[in-house]
Amino acid sequence: MELDLLLILQMVLASLVGTVLYTIIGIAPGTDETAVLAPVTMVLVLTGFEPIVILTFFISAIIAKKLTDSIPVAIAGIPGGVMSAPMVEHAMILKKHGMPEVSIRKMASGSVIGTIIAVPLSLLLANFLLPFGDTLSQYANQVFLGGAIFLALMTKNRWFALLSIIPFAFLIQGLRQLYWEIGVVPEGTTVFTSFFLGITLGPVILKLVELLSRKVRERLPKYGIKEIKLIKRKAEKGFPNPFKILDKKEVGTSSLASFLGVLTFFMSPVGMTIFLGETLTSKIKDPVKRAARAVSSMDGLTNAGYIAGTLIPLIAIGLPLSPTAIGPGGALFNAPPVFTPDHNIHHLLSMGEFVLATIIGAVVAISITFYITIKYAQQICAFVFKYVPHEAMLGLFIGLVLMLSYMDAGVINILGVLLVGLVAGFLHRKGVNYGVQFMTLYAAPWLVSLFF
Amino acid sequence: MSGKEINKSHVKDDENIEVWEDLVHIKDLVLSLIICSITTLGAYLIAPNEPPKPLIYGLVGAVIGFVISSIAIKPKRTFQYVEEEE
Repeated sequence: MELDLLLILQMVLASLVGTVLYTIIGIAPGTDETAVLAPVTMVLVLTGFEPIVILTFFISAIIAKKLTDSIPVAIAGIPGGVMSAPMVEHAMILKKHGMPEVSIRKMASGSVIGTIIAVPLSLLLANFLLPFGDTLSQYANQVFLGGAIFLALMTKNRWFALLSIIPFAFLIQGLRQLYWEIGVVPEGTTVFTSFFLGITLGPVILKLVELLSRKVRERLPKYGIKEIKLIKRKAEKGFPNPFKILDKKEVGTSSLASFLGVLTFFMSPVGMTIFLGETLTSKIKDPVKRAARAVSSMDGLTNAGYIAGTLIPLIAIGLPLSPTAIGPGGALFNAPPVFTPDHNIHHLLSMGEFVLATIIGAVVAISITFYITIKYAQQICAFVFKYVPHEAMLGLFIGLVLMLSYMDAGVINILGVLLVGLVAGFLHRKGVNYGVQFMTLYAAPWLVSLFF
Repeated sequence: MSGKEINKSHVKDDENIEVWEDLVHIKDLVLSLIICSITTLGAYLIAPNEPPKPLIYGLVGAVIGFVISSIAIKPKRTFQYVEEEE
């Protein structure tokens, strides 16, 4: 395999950009992984970067995002993302005992262990599953419908989730049919990207539209300004070593958690984090020790689950059959016209290229973010809290969705995506998670065709 | 409305609301949405019509909108350093 220097340079550059961008986004409060990773990756894919460069970017982005979104948890008790929410309780115990810096160091070290375990293990597991991939992908439609039903049954509001699948599929196909009918897109071209993003930002879109109603506005709780207290900490000296920061037991539990996180790649990473994180630490009596063990192993697990959830379906199957792959990593599998389920990164890259992209992305992201997390966590937090308004983040993502909606099918599709977003946001609020909605989006053409 | 909320602890300038887990001011939010939409869609539309240029322009436009919004709008957070206790 010959890879020219220019391509490698591009990969390193892409992972640097991914790392810096998602370090900032990771720290900003409340950012959902799917909503912040999918749109940017989608734009990069459609722009026509080399597949291997895109994958490198994505790997570094998820690692950076996962490592840094626990920083605000440790420092201010504010989760930087959905995935770091389960850690808040334990981080608060450490913070209460005046040890927020211990929290950060343990979390970041747990992340490093998660990455070190997940990369080779995912590649191995993917290789093992490879022979089954082809069979599985022949039944893609059935698999997606099965996935939607399975994920629906796993939610709290299961009957509602189950009921939503067919109507939601009809909504999506109905809009596509309308576009063909009026000729804004040629028949046979399936609008996907903008619907995908409509679902992704559905909860935000619904909330924003609700604000148009005076009644809703008046009833909403009003706040002053969010007060965040940062505890001053001393600067670290030298290059930190994750294996020295964690004690032997913590290394052990983090490794075990990461290992299980890889094996359960097809499950919801948040769910697994809560379940395994609590189970593995429930026997420890000392609350501080327990919290330290919990944050390190949870961070390891989320990181491992994310890497495995992306790499295994990508390498072995070519269909997004995990919550991570179908959500944040969705653009790697389907971003027409560049990637389709029969022609995406799975088909375009060799095993060697997968390994190379993963290693470059992981090494760049982990070495930069681990280093700066341990050394400058506080300064970065202060910068983001002080200078990045939440309004600008919302503007950025809504702007991207508008553009991609217009690109897919013109002005009418901006309204179409608004409709998809409103329905998706409503379903989301009722407990129908992204997984169910994305699986339905994939299965929609086939599912609707069964009725006619 | 009988269930009207009594503003006990609220001061006059409490007018931020929570969207997506953080506080925003509605006027600022509208401003940011307008800025970002114009820069992103605008850049996409003025780009030469040869793919992938429109997308690259659009992406750059989005980042410009983000930066302008960040400069124009103040985050609804304050923070202070506390000395380490214990």
